[in-house]
Amino acid sequence: MPSAPQPPRARPYSEATFIIPAGYGDTRIALLVKDPWWLYAYWEVHPSDERRVKSRLTPEEVIGLQTILRVYDVTDGGAPESAAHWMDIPLSGLAANWYLNTNAPDHAFVVEIGLLTRFGRFLAIARSNQVRAPRSGPSDVIDEAWRIADEQFWKLLHLSGQIGMGSSPGSAKNALEHAAPGSAGAAASSMDVPSSHQPKALRVHAELIVHGSADPRATVTIQGQPVALRADGSFSARFALPEGTQAIDVAATTATHQAAVTPVVIYRVQEKAGPAPDATAPARRGQPEAR
Amino acid sequence: MAAQPRGYLAFVLHSHLPFIRHPEHEDFLEERWFFEALTETYLPLLERFQRLVDEGIPVRVTMSFTPTLLAMLDDELLQRRYVRHLDKLLELTEREISRTRWQPHFHRLALFYHHRFASARRMFVEVNHCRVIPAFRQLMDAGAIEPLASCATHGYLPLMDYQPAAVRAQIAIGVQAFEHAFGRRPEGMWLPECGYHPGHDAWLKEAGIRYFLTDAHGIFFGSPRPKYGTYAPVICPSGVAAFGRDLESSKSVWSAEEGYPGDPAYREFYRDIGFDLDLEYVRPYIGSDGARVHTGVKYHRITGKTESKEPYDPDRALEQASRHAAHFLSSRERQVDALRGLIDREPLIVSPYDTELFGHWWFEGPDWIEALIRRAHAHHPGLELVSPGDYLERHPRNQVVQPCQSSWGYQGYSEVWLNGANDWIYRHLHKMAERMQELAARHPDSSGPMRRALNQSARELLLAQASDWAFILKTQTHTAYAYRRLHDHLARFTRLYDAITSRTIDEAWLGQVEAGDNLFPFLDYRVYASA
Repeated sequence: MPSAPQPPRARPYSEATFIIPAGYGDTRIALLVKDPWWLYAYWEVHPSDERRVKSRLTPEEVIGLQTILRVYDVTDGGAPESAAHWMDIPLSGLAANWYLNTNAPDHAFVVEIGLLTRFGRFLAIARSNQVRAPRSGPSDVIDEAWRIADEQFWKLLHLSGQIGMGSSPGSAKNALEHAAPGSAGAAASSMDVPSSHQPKALRVHAELIVHGSADPRATVTIQGQPVALRADGSFSARFALPEGTQAIDVAATTATHQAAVTPVVIYRVQEKAGPAPDATAPARRGQPEAR
Repeated sequence: MAAQPRGYLAFVLHSHLPFIRHPEHEDFLEERWFFEALTETYLPLLERFQRLVDEGIPVRVTMSFTPTLLAMLDDELLQRRYVRHLDKLLELTEREISRTRWQPHFHRLALFYHHRFASARRMFVEVNHCRVIPAFRQLMDAGAIEPLASCATHGYLPLMDYQPAAVRAQIAIGVQAFEHAFGRRPEGMWLPECGYHPGHDAWLKEAGIRYFLTDAHGIFFGSPRPKYGTYAPVICPSGVAAFGRDLESSKSVWSAEEGYPGDPAYREFYRDIGFDLDLEYVRPYIGSDGARVHTGVKYHRITGKTESKEPYDPDRALEQASRHAAHFLSSRERQVDALRGLIDREPLIVSPYDTELFGHWWFEGPDWIEALIRRAHAHHPGLELVSPGDYLERHPRNQVVQPCQSSWGYQGYSEVWLNGANDWIYRHLHKMAERMQELAARHPDSSGPMRRALNQSARELLLAQASDWAFILKTQTHTAYAYRRLHDHLARFTRLYDAITSRTIDEAWLGQVEAGDNLFPFLDYRVYASA
């Protein structure tokens, strides 16, 4: 049922109504380093900037126009337009970010987003910052004052184990994987993870609740241990029940009276396991309650 | 002065939690991360370090504290809530003592936990008056711990390099937070996730930092080739020293295959009565929405690769921790001896770990550390425990090397914080940082509500930059919470930015935001003014 229109009034701000924007109306491309072999670019192109660049096209060039990323290797320190190596990545209309497989550790890169005509003319719309991919192995540069023989260096490296292979202590759970054969994924070192219980076949436990009431002024014990009485004289106690026989002496004592009741509980467990009666039948939904 | 050691061991603990504080909710599940860390890690470590100091046993442990953790330790609301949390656990374990009466193994453990929670409460409330930072400060004054600063909100710096002013602010505010807590300037800084990007050492230098830590390949892949590998620090072009993590000693603790914490005698993390017991019974002690969570009461030991876990035996586990401490030290001595043939000075082994590994994840970890310190003192005179700063005093001359961009995350670079699950956040984080600089440039001076709004904008930016959100989005646990935090800080920042720009600040709302995201009372937004 439609509600009556509300009179407009200033409502208190609620951040719940905030929607994370897709962009900010800028024209820019930013380049980040993922690892020695991969970079990541995100961008945003304001329509007016795209129009401005398109206005430089000849009518023939408009046909077959392609939006691309041009990735320049600028390791030698020159400007992107004079770079000897670049690669082009054609984009689909909706992409706003891309992982670039530059595959060149220790090289420097700049990327431009722009338009490529079918005649090979490239018109840049935005240029990124410059980044340098990290090295993926030891440097070849040797400082004579701190010289180390090649063989010695590789021995040192070897002694320190698996370099750069993601020993990843950031996920403390590594150390505990023994403990949780069924748990998936890395967990925040500093945080809890929900215990990832694999569906266990069946786990059953029994507990016993002993409850009753007595004169509120009485002292009540169960198997010799005092229990707290509520104001109305009622009490209850809960016990994990092991297999076997339990004699549960409950006694109440006041200044003038004494009373005792002893429930006796026998708990036995029988186990049975095997294939399901009809393995082809559709699986039953849910697990039996196994607590 | 003891005889010249054959080698040095720098044992480094990195202590961090993201800032999680929700006064708007009576009970907030994620605040438990902090409570559990206190009960299981920080208070046990504090107790053990104090005991060692009292006995005159030299402790020399380097410990970073992130500003977000310091802010939570210093927060009265969280302190009150922690005491409430402990009281609930005491109530639960009292019920457990009764419930397990017919199961001697578990009964003994229920008593064990009740005792632990009671001592945690005594330690927190009676001994320390709910303030733990001064206790760590005393350990610092006694020379037992060497605290390290860290970045303001544990921002991952390599992916912030696009906005150098944001990197600089994370470092500068980190140093301020350290001074606020420890009353002196920090010597060293823990870069979040060991995330180093060439050039950031210049900002460390500017902030008065003498050294930081990187992962092993940060040094080994540095240029020129480091003559001593990770077994001595290198000096960055800026003059700041970089210490590389030793992977071999790390592995003995971290590795799933060879690591100590997986030993069958140790406590099983994944069996907790919060999950194992009848829902109605545990309901008062789990999430207020009835979501089962860890209570910290865990009755089983790892046992092996099996689902049927045996009851935990604390005495047996303690003995094993002591054996593992002895094993760790004799392995380090062997490592030092093997290295001495390759390098012409006493090797330094730098072993950094997340502090919460000890106690929270590896329950016996604090006992292992205590045993290690006792044993190093009694049986291993050739191996001296030092802080990285101590080493620099002994060996001030070191090779100049430009370390390699690196982190200690999976695969060693940035993919944990930059992948399909979280890459969308950088567009917003970078924009916020850009706008923050714009605001700071436009308002070189301000006062009253305007100044408050500018400072709060900086807080919202910093909180959004915490590497934890990207990490959680990647690991797919608690993703809704991480998303919500990014969303909320971005929303608050955007509203503050608009309000400052249009000079229409809603003071009531600003007051609310300040009361919630209340960390860094010393913060001055002008840290973003000049880069």
